[in-house]
Amino acid sequence: MNKLLFFAHLRDEAGHESVEIDAAGKTVAELKRMVAEKYGVQKLDSSMTAINEEFASNEEVIKEGDTIAFIPPVSGG
Amino acid sequence: MSERYSRQTLFPPIGKSGQEKIRSKHVLMIGAGALGSGNAELLVRAGIGRLTIVDRDYIEASNLQRQQLYTEEDVAQKLPKAAAAEKRLKAINSDVEIRALIADATPEKLEELVDGVDLIIDATDNFETRMAINDISQKYQIPWIYGACVASFGMSFSIIPGKTPCLNCLLKTMPLQGMTCDTGGIIGPAVQMVIAHQGSEALKILVEDWDALRTSFVSFDLWRNQYASMKMSKAKDSGCLSCGENPTYPYLDAENRTKTTVLCGRDTVQVRPPKQQQLNLQETAEKMRDLGYQVKANPYLVSVEIDENRMVIFQDGRALIHGTKDLAQARSIYQRFLG
Repeated sequence: MNKLLFFAHLRDEAGHESVEIDAAGKTVAELKRMVAEKYGVQKLDSSMTAINEEFASNEEVIKEGDTIAFIPPVSGG
Repeated sequence: MSERYSRQTLFPPIGKSGQEKIRSKHVLMIGAGALGSGNAELLVRAGIGRLTIVDRDYIEASNLQRQQLYTEEDVAQKLPKAAAAEKRLKAINSDVEIRALIADATPEKLEELVDGVDLIIDATDNFETRMAINDISQKYQIPWIYGACVASFGMSFSIIPGKTPCLNCLLKTMPLQGMTCDTGGIIGPAVQMVIAHQGSEALKILVEDWDALRTSFVSFDLWRNQYASMKMSKAKDSGCLSCGENPTYPYLDAENRTKTTVLCGRDTVQVRPPKQQQLNLQETAEKMRDLGYQVKANPYLVSVEIDENRMVIFQDGRALIHGTKDLAQARSIYQRFLG
């Protein structure tokens, strides 16, 4: 299983702070599409992704036990 | 070294030699809103040698909740942020050479300003300007510190040319439209937390304590009690057009710029002429009054009521059109009077 963490407004959209999901073998891009459908999260395309607290590209493949965090960029200042 | 900095020099990683380094440095602050106010105050109090601060906006009542340099009097006078910031910062520390510019931080403006600059601090509210800062940073090999916040959420990352990935490396997953204070609001502590992260990294860079720098991308949500530190070593892209092997600095090109921008958090569009101008504001005010409009003016700007919109004109030819988010309508109002 994999743990997914939602940051900032993504948590409101997903309705959860974290969820457990089986994502092993999927790329980050595939996981984003899956999560968008399953949890109704709109803006995952524009979110940064961290796998086990390390920046991950959309091509990176998720392994069993990885923790994935979605961090949306903000521009206010 | 004067008594004034004694508590800072007692801190071993700074010490007297660090204080001398801080004193010899020039920081360029892009933006004088919430992050700009706090970062500027922190660095001026810390005793930097020179601060250049650039902002295109003027102070409004809704700024006072979090923009720590400004007062009700500044709102009443509709002072430009850069002018009010300069006055307040000089009162805080008269030893610091402070230069404030009421201007848009365009790529040309940034190119003009970077000579002799040791560090650029991002206190802007949009990714267009950040990408230009990012290219300038790479082109002139000057570090910069990204910071942003909305609601109770904030983030920061230090970009050191030749060492860290740059903002353009992250762009594959970081688009030009992030969430803004327009949609999410903002609380003061989120601003202060970003300032604390940017300010500590700034001090490390100014005293040249490179080993102490935080190399991760930090983000937090103070209301939801989340804190994340993302390692960035795998984010560097050797094909990046800003920091890769064959850089072209795409965000310094004219084609990548808009002349109209919707401002963060307000029903307002900024219109910027293709070339900078030197308007005679007094003449402009008189002309508008002669046309029958209600006009308010001070030495920095002219404010005109045009039907349900309000146009505020600055000396460099820029204007803010309030009461619309429609770029074409804003351009039309601008060109009707200043085109």
